[in-house]
Amino acid sequence: MRTEARSRVDLAALGGGALLILLYVFLYAPIFYVIYTSFAEDIVWPFPPSFSLSSYEDLFASSLYAKALSNSVILGIGAAVLSTILATGGAIGILRYRSRWRGMAFFLFLAPLFVADLLIGISTLAFNARVLGLPGNLYSAIAANAIPGTSFAFLIILSQLVRYDWAMDEAAMVFGAGPVRCFAEITLPTIWPSLLGAFLISFILAFNNLEISFYNLGAIPTLPSVAWGSLRFGLGPELFALAALVNFGVFAIFAVMYLLMRYRILSFGYRGR
Amino acid sequence: MPDPVLKLQAIVKRFGNVTAVDRVDLAIERGEFFALLGPSGSGKTTLLRIIAGLERPDEGRVEIGGREVTRLPPYARHIGMVFQNFLLFPHKTAAENIVFPLRMQRLSRADRDQRLAWAMRLMRLEGLEGRYPNELSGGQQQRVALARGLISRPALLLLDEPLANLDRELRSEMEVEIRRYQKELEIPFVYVTHNQEEALTMSDRIAVMRNGQFEQVGAKTEIYTSPATAFVAGFVGHANRFEARLVELAGDCARIEWKGNSMLVPRPRDADPGAPIQFSIKYEDLEVARAVNGFDPARRNWLSGRLRDVIFKGQTANYIVVLEDGSDIVVSGAPHGLDLRPSDAVVVHWPVTRGACFRI
Amino acid sequence: MSGLKQRRRWLDLTHRGNVRFALLAGPGAVFILIALLFPLLSIVVFSFWRTESYELYADWNLNNYRLLLGEPAYRIFFSRSLITAALVSVGCLLLAWPAAYFIAKHGGRYRLLLVLLLAAPFFTGVILRITGLQGLFGPIGVINMGLGILGMNPVEALMYTPFAAGIGLVYLYVPFIVTAIYLSLVNFNFELLEVAKINGARPWRAFIEITWPLNWIGTVIGLVLVFIPCLASAVTQRFLGGTQATSFGMSLSLQFGETGTWALGSAMGVFLFVSSLLAILAAGRSIDLKRGGFTGRLQE
Repeated sequence: MRTEARSRVDLAALGGGALLILLYVFLYAPIFYVIYTSFAEDIVWPFPPSFSLSSYEDLFASSLYAKALSNSVILGIGAAVLSTILATGGAIGILRYRSRWRGMAFFLFLAPLFVADLLIGISTLAFNARVLGLPGNLYSAIAANAIPGTSFAFLIILSQLVRYDWAMDEAAMVFGAGPVRCFAEITLPTIWPSLLGAFLISFILAFNNLEISFYNLGAIPTLPSVAWGSLRFGLGPELFALAALVNFGVFAIFAVMYLLMRYRILSFGYRGR
Repeated sequence: MPDPVLKLQAIVKRFGNVTAVDRVDLAIERGEFFALLGPSGSGKTTLLRIIAGLERPDEGRVEIGGREVTRLPPYARHIGMVFQNFLLFPHKTAAENIVFPLRMQRLSRADRDQRLAWAMRLMRLEGLEGRYPNELSGGQQQRVALARGLISRPALLLLDEPLANLDRELRSEMEVEIRRYQKELEIPFVYVTHNQEEALTMSDRIAVMRNGQFEQVGAKTEIYTSPATAFVAGFVGHANRFEARLVELAGDCARIEWKGNSMLVPRPRDADPGAPIQFSIKYEDLEVARAVNGFDPARRNWLSGRLRDVIFKGQTANYIVVLEDGSDIVVSGAPHGLDLRPSDAVVVHWPVTRGACFRI
Repeated sequence: MSGLKQRRRWLDLTHRGNVRFALLAGPGAVFILIALLFPLLSIVVFSFWRTESYELYADWNLNNYRLLLGEPAYRIFFSRSLITAALVSVGCLLLAWPAAYFIAKHGGRYRLLLVLLLAAPFFTGVILRITGLQGLFGPIGVINMGLGILGMNPVEALMYTPFAAGIGLVYLYVPFIVTAIYLSLVNFNFELLEVAKINGARPWRAFIEITWPLNWIGTVIGLVLVFIPCLASAVTQRFLGGTQATSFGMSLSLQFGETGTWALGSAMGVFLFVSSLLAILAAGRSIDLKRGGFTGRLQE
């Protein structure tokens, strides 16, 4: 009886695990296809396999892609910094202090989630061009990308911060820590994984955002806008190479994270259940 | 009289319409173990948080060590505190938790290590320095929390129901230890609890709090043996309570009538004949005996009934007696002294000098 | 003297938390107010204007809305987008729950890594990922060519159909809903399930009675995160959907691109925004904070 119940639970877990693996396969198959294709001679039909580095040679020969990559990185970092700072303040303020504006602020922080990227893109374009009379630039793109970024960062930070016991801060204050010290010594070490998560997510979303950035940037190239622009003539093989390189970087970071967790050098906030 | 370590003057704290602390005055001496006892919602924790600086009083004045601190934040008060669920910093080891107050005071590393060694020895925590809070047992966490509270030798240590989350055995062990530390270090402790046994075991003086005010402040024996109000009489110790009517006053005594029984009880402070009064008497002030015909001892009250049950408590037992009108009365006594069985006819009797009487 | 008094009042205010609240949450709230609401208001205004040869003119009229509601093409585009968004949301939900549950329950200390692994595909741009999908599913993709080599017929449904666009949308947005449900589940007390089981509930019953309602808020947030962008999506349909998949979003982006009819585009944007809002309100009505197990301090 007991063993039967046990095996059923394991079966459910097994099913969930299998589905998760399938999900990862689904998510990564196109990416591996892109990486694979980046090494092929013919990107339209890369079979049978024919190894070539010509995509990479073209990539390093062209300055457009370097420019696009650096713009994307600037855009990503700018939006992520802005989002994470605003969201951290918002989450702490809303969870910790009673204020009659709290409900309003909560709503505002989540509001961008209810607005599609396309709408944010066209409305900021219309606003910048017609109301402010400004041409699109990297700053307006950073700001526009930070709108949904702030919401995502807020959700991520909030979901960890609700479990944070603010009495911990009171304890630190009784023992002589001022507000800044308290944040640095007690709050931050407990919540930094969620700040990192928030930063990463808002970076990724801005780094490769097409619809918001496209309407805000005009002629300034970023990775997605170059991809969009080159579609008319078929995707350049350089893009495949660049995407492959970016992914290698990402996989390397994940491998390092895995090793840190595996050997318990850093737990990223995990403290048992 | 030396200056008190802690002095509260007319402290008032309101939350919306609720007055959590209502004009409270208090002075605590050096080396004193002071308990704030009260039911939940009585304002005792709010008062403690005001002393700590975690709440600011709406009115009144707080002095610690002769210095006014009413408007100072907690981190400028040099106090220690032990919290209800310990609130150990989960990302710091036991040793890091304990030296936290010293680091905030910018003590040198050598001083910190020396104090840490002292605290670890005092709390018998040697060898656990590198453990994280979730790797410690409840009792060890409690000791770490105490060590963190005491390590900087604060002017005052505040304890907010620190034993509430411990199991019974550990709790009675810690009660003794906490009192030992207090006596050794001579730091005044202000100990908030709703558990009267904790307050009675550990403290020197007790304030019984209710609805934001002190009902009675005094030495613990005084609180126990001569409660000032009906509330204190009911809250401290285990007492039977009778709502009766005052018949006449006679010297130190008063005659009351309760459900057809006439009893002599200590005189209430201010009540006239005919007034409704409450008489309360602790379980252990009563005695129970097998009913015999013609039982009528001098200077004793007695009520007859039937034994319903005996609750064995170890050193004592509670005898639950059903009186003739159906109400229960509890008598605490030696568990083996009497050979009584449930449904035996018994009498409950007590000297007329016992118990306390209050106007209601 | 008055300086001191002012300082005291300032301290009192900070103590009550209003000033700290404003300092912490204020910048973000104001930023979103300015950067999101003002532009949205501006397109509301433009939707009542007129465009002529790529220029906006401020003569107030309702023609854009008349056209939008009267022209059957827009109705078809919109209902197509709506149905797609609904089906994609359900598909994502079915995929996301078991995946999120597995990560939260069995992920152990690798939970964060497993979740970030869901986000990593976003490092590759939408266009490239869609190209990758095409490379796998398209007419000359790995699957269909593979089937051809084996002498079988290609799967028609995967070739430039609304179904293919749907798969593309699931592909793009399923990480959001998995993350949302996961974030809800990590704050869920799994011991409650043991209580339910001890009281006689079978696993699926415990799930329906306890797990599902207590994580409904996270699920709704996840659904919104999928539904809203799907309702507006343009790129996916354009590359994967073929001729039968023209979406409302495609038509909308056209107004701001090739045709340059901003006023009509603004009206379409307003229409899209209002329908998103209605969908969210409908979803929000199903949330009962008290029964959602929401015990955070926000309720106070």
